[in-house]
Amino acid sequence: MASETKLSHTAALILHAIQAGFVYGFSIMEMTGLPSGTVYPAMRRLERDGMIRSHWEKQSIADAEQRPPRKYYKLTPTGNTTLEGARKRYPLLERLIPSEEVKQS
Amino acid sequence: MKPSAVWMCSRIEHGILHCASLFTPGDRRAEWMREWRAELWHAREASQIDEQMTWSGEKALLRFCSGAIRDAWTLRSLCAENKGPRAAFRGSAAECLLFLFVLFAASYLLSQMLPGVRAEIHPSLYRVNPNLIMIQNALATNDSLATISLERYETWKARPQRYFDGFAFYRVARELVVPRPGARERWKVAHGSLNLFWMLGLPTMFSAVSDDAVGRTPGVILSEEVWRKDFGADPHIAGRLVHFGRKDVRVLGVSPAGVWRLPGDVDAWLLEGDDANRGVGYVIAHLTAPGRTAMSSDRVEIISLNSDDENEELCGISFAARTKGPWGLYQFAVFLAFLALPAITSVSLGESQFCSYKPSWTNRVFRWLFLGAKIALLLPTVYLASLDLAYCHTMTYSVGAQYIQLISTFTMGLLGLRWIILDQQNRCPVCLRRVTHPAQVGLASRTFLAWNGTELICTGGHTLLHVPALPTSWFGTQRWLYLDTSWRSLFVGSGVG
Repeated sequence: MASETKLSHTAALILHAIQAGFVYGFSIMEMTGLPSGTVYPAMRRLERDGMIRSHWEKQSIADAEQRPPRKYYKLTPTGNTTLEGARKRYPLLERLIPSEEVKQS
Repeated sequence: MKPSAVWMCSRIEHGILHCASLFTPGDRRAEWMREWRAELWHAREASQIDEQMTWSGEKALLRFCSGAIRDAWTLRSLCAENKGPRAAFRGSAAECLLFLFVLFAASYLLSQMLPGVRAEIHPSLYRVNPNLIMIQNALATNDSLATISLERYETWKARPQRYFDGFAFYRVARELVVPRPGARERWKVAHGSLNLFWMLGLPTMFSAVSDDAVGRTPGVILSEEVWRKDFGADPHIAGRLVHFGRKDVRVLGVSPAGVWRLPGDVDAWLLEGDDANRGVGYVIAHLTAPGRTAMSSDRVEIISLNSDDENEELCGISFAARTKGPWGLYQFAVFLAFLALPAITSVSLGESQFCSYKPSWTNRVFRWLFLGAKIALLLPTVYLASLDLAYCHTMTYSVGAQYIQLISTFTMGLLGLRWIILDQQNRCPVCLRRVTHPAQVGLASRTFLAWNGTELICTGGHTLLHVPALPTSWFGTQRWLYLDTSWRSLFVGSGVG
């Protein structure tokens, strides 16, 4: 059932970016070129639908790098399955984030 | 960019985030702000060129922050969707009853905080001896006018009387009073006979003097209003000296709010010998047994001889009208509101329907019980709220306060009953939820079905309500259409049974 879930192009792009290792809001914005008013609401909906889940970075790591802690997002198994289906639907999705930029999430 | 400009832009950006956060639910706001502040920090780092901010960078940050408003609104919408019980509560009969109960509780709490209302609600406080009447000139247009001179009063008091065995006199005047050093106030003072309070049987608070002593010793009794305002509600007020005009008088006690029902909105009662009283005032007379028999109504005519042995027309007025309390007035105003209701709205509960389906008798019983519960909550609320309005600015009984009570009871009762009827007409007969999602029936219906109106639906999936925009001979009032079970699948996710 999950693989049959229809994603909008924007949601598929955000899922793809998260899987590619761009795991916090501003980096997803930079990668996709989408404005903040699109990216963050879309991530709220994806989290509600169980496609992604979030967790806060440890304070000690942020303190060591002298910056505020980030809220990281990660694909759930449902999100991974849905993204696979979306890739078949949007074949050009792979080209938007070149494979050499894909990071290990 | 100058550091001051950067600082200003930073404040604006944080201000946008703060304003946007107000849209988010309270329990999610702190985390939402934390995430956006962190994201803004990273966005700012990315906008800097050679560790310097530029105007284009600040513009980009402002655009970034403006996205927070949409994000906050989205989060709010998503949280509202998740709150199933709250969605089920919205528009339900329980919500309506809770709303009315909150209004009742608020008006009750307010009434407990207002001494004037407390006094009106407890009629035992202002019960006046039923054997007393007020004597007034028969030509007086209303019973609030002072018409009897002190000389007339002294004449009656000196002569043996068949119908009366005791008299008291008072007149009302404005006096300059010094309640405490340095404070000068103008009070409305009732200059009364020494036996005024004793004859009326009015209670006093903090009185350290016996009734006999009150009869012998001149002094002043303060109203609760001035006792609170000018003496800081001092419980040890009895015995204190207060400068009245040109003399010092001793405080005998405090008269509780609302107990004084006689003419004159008085701040204090100066009890002194009749020789100190001059002018026109009011006379209170105590009836003998024959007098009680003769006083068969609230107002009787009295013929008396004046000092020139000529007949003088007087009247005796009972205090019954002044000591009835607010309940009779309230009943009258509510009765008027019920009478006037059909003039401003249809009193039909909208029971007609398209189909032959009949709601179960339990549904019908609950519908009527719900209507009764709403009225049962509205009526005491109107009673208390009208008293709150009438006595919010005064602690003492007055004719003006009675007018305010009458008008406010009628207005609130009428509008409240109208709201209850309209609310009842828009509630699903099955689940008592308000029907929602009004849809205007379009041009096609107007052309082909000759029907023009609005359709509303019960979110529980029980009924459709059709309200004609232009009542016709065949479709004059609203009608219910009961939905069969084939509609249920459309309402599975509504959270409403």
